[in-house]
Amino acid sequence: MDRSMFVSISYFLTHLGLIFFMYPTDIIASTDEAYWIPITLGIIIHFIFLSIYMKGLSYFPRKNIIMIYLSHGKIIAWIFLLPVAIYLIMIIIITIRSYSEIITIVFLSNTPLWAIMFLLVLVATYLSSRGLDSILRSSLLLAILFLPLTLFVCFVSFQNVDWRYIFPLTTNDFRFITKPSYLMSYFSIGGVFLFIGFIQPLFTYKPKKILYTVLLLVPFWIISVYIPILTFGNSTVPHFYFPFVEAVDSIDINWLMFDRVTVFFLLSLITFIILFLSLILWMFMQIITTCIPKFRPNYLLILISFISFVCCLFIPDWKDVEDLFLINSPFRFFCLLIVPPSLLILGIRSKRKEKLENG
Amino acid sequence: MGNTMIKVFFLLCIVLTSTGCWNNKDINHRLLPAVVGISKNGDKYKLILELPVLESDNMKIQIIKATGKSIADAVDWLSMNMDRGVDLFHVKLIVLDKQFAKQGLTDVMSGLMRSREVAPNAQMAICNEDLDYFFGNVQKSKPPTGDYLLDFFEKDAGWTPNIALTRVWQVYRSLHSSTRDVIIPIIQTGKLTEVEHIGSAVIKNGKMVSQISPNDTLLYNAFDGQGTQGIVEVMDLATVLILSDWKSNKSMIINEKPFMKSQLNLKVTILETKGNPSMDLIKKDLSTLITNRFHRMLTITQKKQADILGLGQTFRTKLPRAKLKNWREKYYPILKLDFQVNVDIQNEGFLKSD
Repeated sequence: MDRSMFVSISYFLTHLGLIFFMYPTDIIASTDEAYWIPITLGIIIHFIFLSIYMKGLSYFPRKNIIMIYLSHGKIIAWIFLLPVAIYLIMIIIITIRSYSEIITIVFLSNTPLWAIMFLLVLVATYLSSRGLDSILRSSLLLAILFLPLTLFVCFVSFQNVDWRYIFPLTTNDFRFITKPSYLMSYFSIGGVFLFIGFIQPLFTYKPKKILYTVLLLVPFWIISVYIPILTFGNSTVPHFYFPFVEAVDSIDINWLMFDRVTVFFLLSLITFIILFLSLILWMFMQIITTCIPKFRPNYLLILISFISFVCCLFIPDWKDVEDLFLINSPFRFFCLLIVPPSLLILGIRSKRKEKLENG
Repeated sequence: MGNTMIKVFFLLCIVLTSTGCWNNKDINHRLLPAVVGISKNGDKYKLILELPVLESDNMKIQIIKATGKSIADAVDWLSMNMDRGVDLFHVKLIVLDKQFAKQGLTDVMSGLMRSREVAPNAQMAICNEDLDYFFGNVQKSKPPTGDYLLDFFEKDAGWTPNIALTRVWQVYRSLHSSTRDVIIPIIQTGKLTEVEHIGSAVIKNGKMVSQISPNDTLLYNAFDGQGTQGIVEVMDLATVLILSDWKSNKSMIINEKPFMKSQLNLKVTILETKGNPSMDLIKKDLSTLITNRFHRMLTITQKKQADILGLGQTFRTKLPRAKLKNWREKYYPILKLDFQVNVDIQNEGFLKSD
C-alpha cells in the first residue's frame, strides 16, 4: 500500500515539533554571527544522509532495517541495532523530560511535572500501541487541525523584524563545528529520519516525495533561528532559553480575539511532539519485539513506557537534561552518519552476490 | 479481552489527567489587573494595580497597592493578604515612576522577561508625577472608564503619532543592544483631559537620560516607520497633515568617522492656512522646520550617547561587530548626518489656493 503522503506529513510534523524549541537556542549558542552557515551545513548533511539511507533501503524491497541487518548475521545486527535502540530509548526519555519542562516554563507553571510527563507518555503509548497505521493516520488529522495555525504564527512572526540585524553575513569563525551546543542542534536534524527504514514491509513510499518534504522543511529551520535574531538582535537573543517562543510572544495583533498567540502555537507543537514520541516508541518496540518475541508486545510497551516515565522522574533539573542531550550525541551521530552508509554498502554487496549467483 | 482492558485503562487515565484539576483557580478567584504602576523607594518596590471592577452594570476602578523587595514579592504579599490571587497575565500597560526610570530599569525588565507572566508586548509608559497621585486621579475620573489608559496607547483608538509606542521586549532588547536605544512616552494627569502626554523619555541602557518633546516623537515615529498621520504646524503659515512617509538611508565610514545621508519623503495635505501663502513657501518652510527639529533631537541624543533612532543599525555592514560594540561611545557622538526632507503636497483639500 502506498502511503507516501502520510509518511511525508508525519515526517514534516515531527520535524516542526523538534525545530522550534531547542534548535534556535543551540544554533545561536554555537556561533555569534552568520548563523546561516551552521544551519545550511546541518540541512545539507540531513539531505545527503537521508538520500543515502533511502538508496540503501531501496536495495532491499519489502524489508525494514531490522530484517536487513538480521539477514546479514547476528553480529552485524547487534553492532548496528544496539546503538540505534539505545539512541531511541534515550530520545524517548529526553523528549518526555525536556518537553514537559518546556511546558512548565512556558505556560503551566503551577502544574506538577509528573502530571505533564504522565500525560505525554500516556497519549504517546496509546498511539504507538495501535501501530504505525494509526500513527500515520493521526498525523493527517493533526496536520489538518494544527498546521494552519502553526503556519499563520510563522507568517505573523515577521511583524517585528528589523532586517538590518541580518548582517554580518560572513564570518571566519568556524569553531561552531566542535561546540557541544552545535552537536546538540542535530537533535532536530537527525532526530526522526530513521523511521523511514521501519515502514517498508507494512507500507510503501516514494523516496522522492520524502526528499521534497525535506525541501519544504528548509524554510522552517531558517526562520526558527532568524526570526528571533531579526527581532531582538544577536546580542540579546543568547539570553533566551527559547528564542522563537519569545519572538512569537512579542507579536501584537489587535484584531485577533486571543491575547497571546503563543499558547496556541506551543500547544500545536506539543501535539507534534506527541506524534514524534509515539513514532519513536513504536520504532523501539519493533526492535525489542524482534529480540524478545515471546512477550506480548502491548504489555512490553506499557512496561517500557513505565520505565521511561520513572527514569524521567529521576532527572532533577534542566542542566541534567542538557547533559543527557550531550551524552546522547554519539549515538545520534551513529544513527545519522553510520547507519545510512552501512545500509548502502550492505545493499551493494548483496546485489553483487545476486549477480554472481545468477550469472 | 486483554486489549479492551488496556484500552479502558488508557482512556480512564486520559480522562483523569487531562482535566488538569490541580492548583486550578477559577477566574472569579483571580485579580487580573490591566495597568500596573511600578515605583521604587530605597530598595523596596511599590506596586500599584489598576483593576476594572463591575458593580451593578457600572465599571469602576479599584486601586490596590503593595510593596516588596521585588515585584514578585509584592505580588505574593498581595495574594497572601487578599481573598483572591493576583495574576499579571493580562497586564497591558506598565507605568513607571520617573525617578525610578532615572535610577535604572535593568533588573525590573529582566525580571519581567524572565517570569513570562507579563506579556513581552505590554506597553510601557513613564509617569511624570507621583504614582499615587496619578492613579488616584485615574480612579476619580468620571465617567470611570477602566480602559482609558489602555485606549490612550491603542493604535486603533486614542493613539496619535506624537506618542511613542514602546513595549517591554523593546526595552529589554535595548539593555543588551549596542546600537539601539528606546524612548518611552511620559504621561501625567491632564488639566483638560484625564491624561496628558508631555513627550518621551530617552532610555539608554535601561536608564532615563533625557527627554524629548511630542513633536520630536512624531519625527521619531516617522523615522521608525510607525506610519505617521501626524499634524505639523508650519511656522505662521499653515497647518499640514502628513499622509505618508518613507525614508532612505545611506551610511559610510570615512577615516573611522561615520557619515550618513538620510532622506525623508513626506506626502502632506493642507489643513489650515494663515493668510494666503504659496505652496512653494509652505514646502520650503516645512522642510526647514523638520530638518531643524531633527538636528536638535539628534544633538540632544548624541550628547547623551543614546542612539534612539537605531542609526548604528545601518552601519552593521560597514563596521565589524567588535567595533560596533563601542558604537554609542566612540562613533555615535561624532556621526555627521546629512538630513534632507522632501515634501510633496499631495492635495490641498477642498479649497483651491492661488
